[in-house]
Amino acid sequence: MEAHVATNLVVLLLLVVAGFLAWRLPRNRYWRERLVEIRRRRPLALLGIALYVGVALLDAVSWREELAAESEAASPGLLEARSALERLFPADFQEASYSAPLAEREFYGGAPLRHPRRHLLGTDILGRDVLLLTLQGARVALLVGGLTCLIAIPLALLAGVPAGWFGGRLDDLVFFVVSTLASMPSILLLIALVTAIGRGPLQVCFALAVTGWVGFCRLARGETLKLRELDYVQAARALGVSEWRILWRHILPNLTHLVVITFVLTFSQLVLSEAVLSWLGLGLDGSWGQMIDQARDELSRDPVIGWNLGAASGALFVLILCVNRVGDAVRDVLDPRTVRERA
Amino acid sequence: MRRAAWISLAVGCGLLLLACSNNPYPDTDDALRVFYTAYSEPPKTLDPQVAYSTVDHDVLSNVYETLLEYHYLKRPYRLIPGLAVRVPEAEPQPDGTVRYRFTLRRGVWFAEDPAFSLAGDGIGRRELRASDVAFGILRIADPAVNSPVLVPLSKIVGLAAFGKRLQQLREQEPGFAALRIDEQYRRAGPVAGVGVTDPDRLEIVTEQPYPQILYWFAMPFTSPVPWEAVAWYDGEAGRPAFSEVAVGTGPFRLTRYDKRSRIVLDRNPDWWGTQHPEWQAPSATYPSEGMPEDAARGTLDPALVGRPLPFLDRIEMRLEKETIPAFAKFTQGYYDRSTIPKESFDQAVRNGALSPEMAARGMRLERAVRPGVYYLGFNMEDRVVGSAAGERGRLLRQAMSLAVDGQEFLRIFLNDRGIPAQSPLPPGIFGYDEEYRNPFRTPDLARARALLVEAGYAGGIDPETRRPLRITFDTGDTSVQSRLRYLFFIEAWKRLGLDVELAATDYNQFRDKVRRGAYQLFMWGWIADYPDPENFLFLLWSELAQSRGGGPNTANFADPRYDALFHQMKNRENDDRRLARIAEMRALLEHERPWIELFHPEDYALVHGWLRGFAPMGLPVPTWKYYDVEPDPRAARRAAWNQPVRWPLAVAAGLAVALLIPGIVTWRRERRA
Amino acid sequence: MSAWLLRRLAWGAVTVLGVLGFLFVLFFATAQPEDVARRAIGEKAPPEAIAQWIANHGYDRPRLWNPEDPLDTMLFEHYRRMLTFDFGRSDADDVPISQRLRGGAGPSLALTVPLFLLGLPLALAVALLVAFFRETYIDRVGVVLAVVAMSISILIYILGGQYLIGVLLRWFPISGFAADPSVIARFLALPLLVGLLNGIGSDVRLYRTIFVEETSRDYVRTAFAKGAGDGRVMARHVLPNAMIPILTHEVVRIPFLFTGALLLESFFGIPGLGSITVDAIHANDFATLRVMVYLGALLFVAGQILTDLAYTLADPRVRLG
Repeated sequence: MEAHVATNLVVLLLLVVAGFLAWRLPRNRYWRERLVEIRRRRPLALLGIALYVGVALLDAVSWREELAAESEAASPGLLEARSALERLFPADFQEASYSAPLAEREFYGGAPLRHPRRHLLGTDILGRDVLLLTLQGARVALLVGGLTCLIAIPLALLAGVPAGWFGGRLDDLVFFVVSTLASMPSILLLIALVTAIGRGPLQVCFALAVTGWVGFCRLARGETLKLRELDYVQAARALGVSEWRILWRHILPNLTHLVVITFVLTFSQLVLSEAVLSWLGLGLDGSWGQMIDQARDELSRDPVIGWNLGAASGALFVLILCVNRVGDAVRDVLDPRTVRERA
Repeated sequence: MRRAAWISLAVGCGLLLLACSNNPYPDTDDALRVFYTAYSEPPKTLDPQVAYSTVDHDVLSNVYETLLEYHYLKRPYRLIPGLAVRVPEAEPQPDGTVRYRFTLRRGVWFAEDPAFSLAGDGIGRRELRASDVAFGILRIADPAVNSPVLVPLSKIVGLAAFGKRLQQLREQEPGFAALRIDEQYRRAGPVAGVGVTDPDRLEIVTEQPYPQILYWFAMPFTSPVPWEAVAWYDGEAGRPAFSEVAVGTGPFRLTRYDKRSRIVLDRNPDWWGTQHPEWQAPSATYPSEGMPEDAARGTLDPALVGRPLPFLDRIEMRLEKETIPAFAKFTQGYYDRSTIPKESFDQAVRNGALSPEMAARGMRLERAVRPGVYYLGFNMEDRVVGSAAGERGRLLRQAMSLAVDGQEFLRIFLNDRGIPAQSPLPPGIFGYDEEYRNPFRTPDLARARALLVEAGYAGGIDPETRRPLRITFDTGDTSVQSRLRYLFFIEAWKRLGLDVELAATDYNQFRDKVRRGAYQLFMWGWIADYPDPENFLFLLWSELAQSRGGGPNTANFADPRYDALFHQMKNRENDDRRLARIAEMRALLEHERPWIELFHPEDYALVHGWLRGFAPMGLPVPTWKYYDVEPDPRAARRAAWNQPVRWPLAVAAGLAVALLIPGIVTWRRERRA
Repeated sequence: MSAWLLRRLAWGAVTVLGVLGFLFVLFFATAQPEDVARRAIGEKAPPEAIAQWIANHGYDRPRLWNPEDPLDTMLFEHYRRMLTFDFGRSDADDVPISQRLRGGAGPSLALTVPLFLLGLPLALAVALLVAFFRETYIDRVGVVLAVVAMSISILIYILGGQYLIGVLLRWFPISGFAADPSVIARFLALPLLVGLLNGIGSDVRLYRTIFVEETSRDYVRTAFAKGAGDGRVMARHVLPNAMIPILTHEVVRIPFLFTGALLLESFFGIPGLGSITVDAIHANDFATLRVMVYLGALLFVAGQILTDLAYTLADPRVRLG
C-alpha cells in the first residue's frame, strides 16, 4: 500500500471515531451541558486545538496528479503525492540551504534565493520551508496522541472492565500483566519495545500504547469494582440480565467521563514523550521532536539559527498548552475526584 | 514545615551563589601545564591489540609505544624509529619469505605498576625486552583476545597456526587454560615468523613480500605488552580488566580512567626519552624539519625545535557527548583544541577560513585531509542496481552517480570540510592523482537523464509498473542528523524522477539486511589503517565480498579484471608499474560505478593561541607528546572571557516580588475589613 | 499482618519474574548475537573473532530448550544471572556491569537526591502559597503558570537552560561533572535548576488541588470560623492532612532516584546510571539494559510494598486484610 493511502486511512478512522462521539454525546443532556460548560470556560484553547486539527487534516489528505506526465520528466516532483496543505504553498518551494525568515539571500554565502521574502519562518539546512514543516508536524503530533489513545483506551477497557467485573483468575491475570508493565521504568520499556518491534509510525504508537494503557486499566478496573456494588447494577443482576449486557449498558456508559478525561490528559503526555523518543533516535519522521533534535546544534552557531528550533518548540508548546488547559476544564467539569489520584 | 521550605530555599540560593562560576576545573589547576581536550564517545577498550577507534588510540598511544612511528611533520607520511633503533630493511630469503630484523633500544622501562610484582622480585617496574614485543604480536593470534587485525597480520609465518594450537590446547588439555598466560604461549609456541634472538633483537618473517608490514609496526596493535599486566588485570577480585588499564613504556601514564566522564594522563618521569635526552632519538625529540606550511602555523617554532619531549605535565580528557557544550567550552577557553564535530560550526569557519571574531581571540584553524573515503555503494548482487541487471544496471548507476553533487554535499553538511572524491584513493596515498577528474562525478543532470533513457527508465519511470523506479536506501543510523544527509541524496535522485525510499532501521536490523543481501544502496566510510593504496582498493576485491563471509566489500563488487589487477598491485613497492595498475583499476571503477565516491574527509581542528606544536596527523598515532601549552596567557584569557552576567538574577527577583506584593496587600486589606 | 506481608511479597516476586520473562522475549528473541558482537568489537572484525565473542558471552546457547542439558539454555541462564545478581559483563565493552553500577550510583544520587529534596519543599511552598491566596489573581496566575511550565518539553528546558545560562550568562559550566567537592556544586547547579523547573509545574498543580480540597472541609471552616489565623490554619491543619496523599505520590518516586535522570544526566554529561542507560541504548548493549530495567522494576516493587506498609503504620484507618 502506498504511504499516503495508509495515512489517509488512519485519518479516516480517526475522523469516524471523532464523528461518532460528536454525534452521540450531545444527544445526552448530561454531556451537552458539560460540553457547553467546557466551551464557556476555555474558548481560546478550544479554538487553538481546532486550528491544529484543521491543519493536520489538510495535511493528511493527499493525492497524486494524474499520470499524464510520462514525457514530462522535467518536473518529476509532480509525480509525488502532495497533501492539500502542501498545495497551499508554491510547488518546489525549496532553497539550497539555510535562509533567515523573510530573507532575500541565503544565510551563508549570500546567494540569492529562488523565493525571496516568501519563507515566513525561513528555511532549514536542506532549504525546506520551516513554516510548512512546522504545520506538517501537527499531523504527526495528532497522530501520535490520537492513534495511541485509540489503541490504548479500548485495550485498557477490554482488560480492566472484565477484570473488575468477573474477578478471580481473570483479575489475577490482568493484575499480573498490569503490575509487570507498571513496574518497569516507562521510558526504558518504550525504548525496549521500539527496538524490538521496529520504528514505523504504527509501531511507535503501539509501543506508546503498551506503556500507556496500564494506568487507565487500573482505573477502569477500580471503577468497575465500585460500580458492581451499586444498587441498580445489583438489581439488574438479580433480574437475570446477562452479564455482558450489564457491562455494555450500565458499566461502560458510566466510564465514559473517565475515558474523556484520560484521553485529554494522556494526549499531551504522549506528544511530549514522542519528543524525548526523537532525541533517542526513535521518533516519528517529521515530528516536532525531530525538528527540535535536528535544530539542537544550530544553537552553537554564530549568529544563532533560531527559527527552526523556535518554530518547532513554539508549535509544540502551544498545542500542549491548549490541550492541558482544556484538560483542566474537562476534569473540573466532569469529575474532579476520581482522576486526581493518578495525575 | 513552611520554615523548612524557606530554609531549603535559602540554602539552595546560597549554594547557587557559591557555585557561580563556569570554570569546570578546580581553580588551583590554572597554573599547570595541562592539555585539556574532549572526546565524544568513551573508549571501548585500551587493549592495544584490540583497540580500533580513534579515542581508544588517543589514550593508549600516549602510554604504549610502537617499534616505529611516523614523522610528525613530514608528508607524505614517513616512518621513523620508535622503540627500535632504526627502521629495518626487507631481507628477502631464498625460500621466498621476507625477514625484518628489529633492534630495540636498551634502557627502556615499563612504567611502575603493581602487576610487575607478579614476576616475584618485588620491584614495581621492569625493563622492556624483545619478548614483550613478541608477546604482543602473539596476542593478536590468541582467540580469547579477539583482535580485529589477525587476518592482515597472518602473513607473519606461523602466527595463525599458533592461534589454532592455543585454542586446541585450551580445549583439550585439562588445566591448560588455568596456566599463566606466558606459560600458555610458551607451550603453544614457537612461531617461526616471530623470533627473539636476544633480549633486544626481534625477527619478523612474512610468508610473501608484504612491504606494508612495516606500517603495522607503527600502529598500536604491535605495541609491546608485559605479560604480567595481562595476567594480573583479569577483571577478577576487584582488579580491573586488561582492557581498562594501560601499562606501557610511553611518555604518559594513565592515572585516572573514569571513561564515562574523565580520563587523566600524567607525565611519566621515568620515560626513556626523558631519562636519556642525549640519545636525541627521533621519536623523543621535537622535529626540526617539516613542510612549508609548518613555518606558517608555528610548528617549527625555534622555542620547540630540538627540545626533548614531552612538554605537557598532564592531559585532561573530558567526555562531551553533545556538541553545544563541547564547543561552548572551547570558546570559553576550557578546552585547548576543538576538533570541529559532525556539524559545521559556522561561527568558526567561513569559506574554509577562521572567522575574524575568532582570529581576534588568538585562535587558529588547522586543516588536514584524513586518509579516508566516504561513498554511496550499490549492492552489486541486486537485481535492479547490481551487475545482475547488466548494461541496464550500469547505466542506472552511472546516471545516479551523475546526479549526486559531492561538492554541494560538502558545502551544506560539512561546511566544505573535505574534498570531493573522484576515486577511492585520498590525497597523501600513493596513486592519488590530483589532476584526475571522474567524468561521472561531475554533476550533469541532462546527461544523467539521457543515460536513464538509454537504460529504459525514461524520466525515471519503470516501464513494468509505469511508476517511478523504486530503490531503497538502507541505513543502520536512525539519528535525525544523518537522516537529513540521506534526504539530500534522495532529493537529488528525485530530480531524475527516481523514487528512492529511505529505510532507516536500527543497527541490528540493518546488519541483518546486509547479511541477507537484502539491500540496494547504502552509505559507508573507510578510514585507512595505514597509508597504502592496497588498504583502499581491497574494499572492492571479490575475495572480501560481504556475501562471501562478511568481508568489508559491502558493495559485493566482483570483477575478474579488477581482481587480477589487484593481485598485481597489492604487494608491490611503490613503482611505476604499481601506478599503472592503480590507474587501470580506477578506470574500471569509473565505468562500472559500484560506488558513488563522495568525499575525502578533512579534519578541522580549532586551537587556541596558547597551544603550541600542534599539527594535524590523521592517523592513529601519538601526537600529544609534541604539544605544549602556555598556562599564564591561558588563565588570563579565560578570566577575561568568562565574566558572568548577573543582572537577570535581580530582574527575576524583582518580578517575583512585584507579582506577590499586590496580592499580599489586597489580602491584608480584606483581613482588616 | 504477616500473612498479608507474605502475600504481598509473593506478588512482588511474581511480578519481578514476569518482568524478567518479558525482558528475555524483548531482547533475546529479536537481536542476532552476531550484530551485537559486530557492534562491540568493530565492523572490521573477522568472522572467527565474532564467533569467539559470541561464545565468550554465552550467546551461543540454545534459546529456550536444549535437549542435551535442559538447564544449559539462554533463558535459564538469564534467570539465574538476574536472580543471583550476577550481572556479567557489558555487551559493549566487557566491563563488569556491577562495577559500572557502583560507579554510576554516586553521580546519579548526587543529582537526584538534591532534586528531590529541593523540589518537594519548593513545590509545596508554591502550592501552599497559591492555595492560600485561592480565588485571587495569584491563584489564577499561579495555576496558569504551572500549566505553562508543564507544557514545555524537557528538551526545550535543557537546550534553553544550557544556551541561556551556560553560553549567554556564563553562570555555571554548561555541562560536566566532577566529584571534587570544590567544583561539584557548580556542575550540579544547572541540571538542578532545569530539573526543578521541569517538575514544578505538574507538582504545584497537583498539590494545589489537594490543598484546596482540604481547605474546603468542615474542620477547616470551623477553624476559620473560630478566628484562627489563616497562616496558622494552613500550617497546622491543612498541611498535615494533605501530606498523606502527597507523600504517597512522592514515595513512589524514591526508588527511581537510583535509576537516575535519563535526559538530565545525558545532556549534562553526568556519568550516572541514567547516562549508562542511554549509552546502553545507543550501543544496543542488551546486557546492561536488561539489568537497568530489572533493577528499576525491583526497586519499584520494593518501594510499593514499603509504601503500603508505611501507609498501614501511619494511618490507623487502613487495615490490611
